[in-house]
Amino acid sequence: MNEMIIAADGLSKSYDGKPALKSLHLEVPRGSICGFLGRNGAGKTTTLKLLLGMLRRDAGSIRLFGEPVDSEASSIAARRRLGFVSEDKDLYAFMNVDQTIRFTRAFFPAWRRDLEERYLDLFQLPRKKAVPKLSKGMRTQLMLLLAMARGAELLIMDEPTSGLDPAMTEDVLQILADLAASDGTTVFFSSHQLAEVEQICDRVCIIDRGQAVIDGELDDLKADYRRVLLVFEGTPPRELASLPGIDHLSQRGRTASLLAHGNVEALVDRARELGPISVEVRSVTLKELFLDHVRGE
Amino acid sequence: MIWYKAWLETRWIFGLFVGLIVFVWLTPLWMPLFGLWLHPGIPASRIWMAIHLGSVFTSFFVANSLAGSGVNSQTAYSPAPGNDGSMLFTLSLPVSRRRLLFVRAGLGALLTNVLIAVMAGYTLSQRPEGANPLQAIEYLARAIVCTMAVYSLSVLISCLLATMWQLYAGIFFWMMVLVLQLKIGFVAWLSPLRGMTLISYPLTAPFPWAPIVASLVFAGICLCASVLVLQRKEY
Repeated sequence: MNEMIIAADGLSKSYDGKPALKSLHLEVPRGSICGFLGRNGAGKTTTLKLLLGMLRRDAGSIRLFGEPVDSEASSIAARRRLGFVSEDKDLYAFMNVDQTIRFTRAFFPAWRRDLEERYLDLFQLPRKKAVPKLSKGMRTQLMLLLAMARGAELLIMDEPTSGLDPAMTEDVLQILADLAASDGTTVFFSSHQLAEVEQICDRVCIIDRGQAVIDGELDDLKADYRRVLLVFEGTPPRELASLPGIDHLSQRGRTASLLAHGNVEALVDRARELGPISVEVRSVTLKELFLDHVRGE
Repeated sequence: MIWYKAWLETRWIFGLFVGLIVFVWLTPLWMPLFGLWLHPGIPASRIWMAIHLGSVFTSFFVANSLAGSGVNSQTAYSPAPGNDGSMLFTLSLPVSRRRLLFVRAGLGALLTNVLIAVMAGYTLSQRPEGANPLQAIEYLARAIVCTMAVYSLSVLISCLLATMWQLYAGIFFWMMVLVLQLKIGFVAWLSPLRGMTLISYPLTAPFPWAPIVASLVFAGICLCASVLVLQRKEY
């Protein structure tokens, strides 16, 4: 069994009595690239901040690198082994690129100068340029450099490619894939870009209203889930909603669209008993999985 | 490296105050250039009192400005929700929050005290009667300890409030203390502001032990509270 680099169980967090996370269960195996998806306000950033010790959890447990993170000391020990890219990409306004790199380098003995030089060159970041004079894209690049060159075993990223142009986005995704493949770095990142996630992730976790609604290997999910389209002569019967194994049901005119997983053949057999004039079963995309799970009934 | 960061973060405000002090220091040189001069009839003691109070006033703003950024200095200026500034980057580093606070507050205190010492030296050099070493030590100790009360409160405020409110909150608090010390004798007896300014003529009044002790206790409480607030604070 793969070692879990991130393992959160029963993670709950409320803000002023309003739940942001409700007993979230999350597992990310070593060496995987895991996309963390959800709508705005679903609890993605809260989860990332809980993992990093920036927020205190109301309930539940967190293990990073197999060790429980239940004190500041254990959080610091975990932070020595990970890199973080925040959503805002805010760095110190009173430093330039070189000072920021030297400052960060001092905390990480395993800092890789080769990667530093490589990414400085790739991103064409001018060492003497002040941070406030960097574009958002350049700040993102600098944060990525700081996260990747520290020799981290785990990269936690909140929207890492926001602010990057398509070419640079492609480069960054390639770098992340290379890091995972060559160094065994685990990457856990939130994103709204489903195409990016589908491109490089081998695992996804979809969170909605503070709870994980999907968590697993992307290939397994795609193999397990099916879209079933049923066309009826009239309005689709209400009994459809009570069929077992349906994750999501939507109706438009005479057509009912089911998202189902597990024993889809049995579901289709049951659906045929309701008298559809046409039945179509097809595979699903990540976008369909995401939308069907976060939009609700 | 945290010291280095703290220095980079503080140096411009520190430099600003150094410039201000040099500007005041050079007053005798630049005043005539603008056709300004002090009326010869003004008593030297009154001029010195003005320098002393100016020095105290500057110390107050030095303390509020150098601590005012405190450990939260990297947070965004605006208190908008989710606008955490570079604090998230700092908190993702393998450093304890307590250490971040101590380094930042420690450097700010050091620089504040350097400026206070320079101002005290200048102020005492302008005293018509001069000052013996004991008086100089007394003057400096009073200035440093009482200003540290102001400084420590500012550190605490910086742990509680967004950047844009910190200076206002500090000024509001000390204005309230000033009002209270004018109305309530006990507050006046203990007030760090009295220790800094001394309504009676400085260096001739008895050494203000009460405000000194009160300032030390108050500073200690503020710093302990800062640590507790920062340990519990969520970003």
